[in-house]
Amino acid sequence: MASQLLPLELIDKCVGSRIWVIMKGDKEFAGTLVGFDDYVNMVLEDVTEFDYSGDHTKLKKILLNGNNICMLIPGGEGPTAVAAP
Amino acid sequence: MENGAATHGEGKDPSGFLSEIIGNPVTVKLNSGVVYKGELQSVDGYMNIALEKAEEYVNGVKRRSYGDAFVRGNNVMYISAE
Repeated sequence: MASQLLPLELIDKCVGSRIWVIMKGDKEFAGTLVGFDDYVNMVLEDVTEFDYSGDHTKLKKILLNGNNICMLIPGGEGPTAVAAP
Repeated sequence: MENGAATHGEGKDPSGFLSEIIGNPVTVKLNSGVVYKGELQSVDGYMNIALEKAEEYVNGVKRRSYGDAFVRGNNVMYISAE
């Protein structure tokens, strides 16, 4: 079992690529992962914020608080790129 | 392999980003949806934030302005460089 990849190592592999962040509650972010820390606070670039109402807001560079992050999807482009069932 | 992102360079991990944007105009969004725009005076490890010339926006509409404002970190959803 030498090849086990820890969760944070998976996120570390995503640095520099697009990532889709799903928060607790109805909010999502998609952006390029610049960096993160042990709390999974993350720095994102060229971000789109998806609101519960379906609105989206563009942001250049943000520090996202890790406290309300629920799930991370490597390579994800946000909810618009996924077909609804 | 080392754990996490502590080894990345300046401006890459959260603390590097914060030191990069101190003194700049920023947008701070709280979990409640309220937005504060102002000049970032300082931040700490809890994401407590001190803003200068802060403007408060509720539903995108400007409500109030404050000369100086302290935001407690647990309410912060994100800090955005403008």
